[in-house]
Amino acid sequence: MKISIEKKDQHYSFEAQPGEKLLYAGLKAGFPLPYECATGTCGTCRARVKEGDIEEGWPEAPGKKGLKEDRREFLLCQAYVKEDSDFNNDTCLLGVPSAIKQFREDDLTPVHHQGEVRNWERLNAEVLQFDVVLDSAIQFHAGQFFVIQAPGIEGFRAYSMVNYEHETNTLTFVLKNKKNGAFSKWAFAQANEDGETKEVSLFGPLGRATFHPDEANNLFLVAGGSGIAGLMSILRHADVSGHFDNYSATLLFGVRTVDDVFYLAELNEMVGRYPNQITVHIVFSDHQSLAGHDLDLGRLNPGFGFVHEQALATIEPNLTDTMAYLAGPPPMIDALIRPLILEAKLPANKIRYDKFG
Amino acid sequence: MNWKVACAAGDVAVDSMKRFDVDGVSLMIANVGDGFRAYPPVCPHMEEYLENSGICAGGVLTCDRHLWQWDMKTGEPQGPAEKPLLMYETKEEGGEVLVFIEQELEYEFDDDDD
Ligand SMILES: Cc1cc2nc3c(=O)[nH]c(=O)nc-3n(C[C@H](O)[C@H](O)[C@H](O)COP(=O)(O)OP(=O)(O)OC[C@H]3O[C@@H](n4cnc5c(N)ncnc54)[C@H](O)[C@@H]3O)c2cc1C
Ligand code: FES
Ligand code: FES
Repeated sequence: MKISIEKKDQHYSFEAQPGEKLLYAGLKAGFPLPYECATGTCGTCRARVKEGDIEEGWPEAPGKKGLKEDRREFLLCQAYVKEDSDFNNDTCLLGVPSAIKQFREDDLTPVHHQGEVRNWERLNAEVLQFDVVLDSAIQFHAGQFFVIQAPGIEGFRAYSMVNYEHETNTLTFVLKNKKNGAFSKWAFAQANEDGETKEVSLFGPLGRATFHPDEANNLFLVAGGSGIAGLMSILRHADVSGHFDNYSATLLFGVRTVDDVFYLAELNEMVGRYPNQITVHIVFSDHQSLAGHDLDLGRLNPGFGFVHEQALATIEPNLTDTMAYLAGPPPMIDALIRPLILEAKLPANKIRYDKFG
Repeated sequence: MNWKVACAAGDVAVDSMKRFDVDGVSLMIANVGDGFRAYPPVCPHMEEYLENSGICAGGVLTCDRHLWQWDMKTGEPQGPAEKPLLMYETKEEGGEVLVFIEQELEYEFDDDDD
């Protein structure tokens, strides 16, 4: 079915396949429609039906809060074309409140992929790492994510890539168990059945919390739990692009307890090669000290309390040559943005974030 | 005349803003140093209440939800912001901030039509 969007003097139109999310259909056609989570939680992709009919999708999507039914508002990332629509003749006209505009010139157009999940690895009791081998090689920017749909589970889930390569057909992800989460349950069940591979559907790459060496910034990285995923990719890209010859990185990685840490060896290895450029703090919210715990942090510094508080204590004010990347639970990010702007005097265009939820 | 008293000039510190209800119309009164500005209470992006999401610093208003920004004096968008702030006319008289309210200003869903 043909989907049209009119904005002032611009007119966009693209095809959406039956069942295909309208956001994905538009992005894939090269139109940078507004979105953040791409999975129904944030509400950023809201749009309005002006003419025609669509299926709204997931009725309980948290991102629907505040949508106005009487204006026929809906979420682009959940809605799709009705299965019974007259595919060749029906059209649908939509209104979108935000501008449809590029982020950077090197924006990558996301595509639908099939992939095979392999190499399940348990990083701790609640965290899994896995690879998805795609049907073709792709490029992505460090900090980006894909949405993944597992067989038999309704809807896509967003996961950020941990690895970085200029071009690759293998994406590495890290997954923090979400209690009673459908995808989490599926993943842990898969990880326990050794060696089996499973087909998944994916769409990506997505997201604008990206690292680009040409932007020439020091990096201030704050992760809550699995938020470390995209930041690992950023550190890796910075590493292979020689960024640390000229710029520094400070990473604060927040976890609850000593049982929740992972990637310590990888971080230690990186700090070992750039001891003057990279500083890593592992911040434990549930401990006041490491006394009595059997954990060797090596070159990494321990911190205690909330990661956002430690982050604010660490950052120097008036940084203009620093980009902050924040990834993890929305409350952590919300708690950081205001003081980063007001106290650290970081310009808002130097803050990039991915809210995981 | 539709000039209405919104608040006392001393109610809002320089480089900050506060929400007031004026005859049933909710608005943000901002002190921009050499005067006051009055905006609708919500962010033009996703109608977040600026009382909660707005950050005033150095004459720039930032909404902490998606980091849209505006020049507080002119309401003009900066950076990723796509729409200007709507503004009511204001004046200061006898230590009070007055706002000219003809009708309540609201942001359109999409700027192209109806
Ligand atoms: C940009 C971004 C990047 C992220 N990166 C990571 C990461 O690298 N590692 C990590 O561990 N977590 C990450 N997350 C969080 C991760 O996406 C959630 O933990 C995950 O969705 C939980 O899925 P679940 O099935 O286990 O839980 P569930 O509670 O079953 O599902 C949660 C999510 O699935 C989707 N969903 C559920 N039901 C439906 C339905 N009926 N129709 C459509 N959609 C539905 C929604 O997006 C919902 O929020 C990220 C989140 C975002 C937004
Ligand atoms: S992008 Fe659709 S709800 Fe977040
Ligand atoms: S709601 Fe204010 S910037 Fe999005």
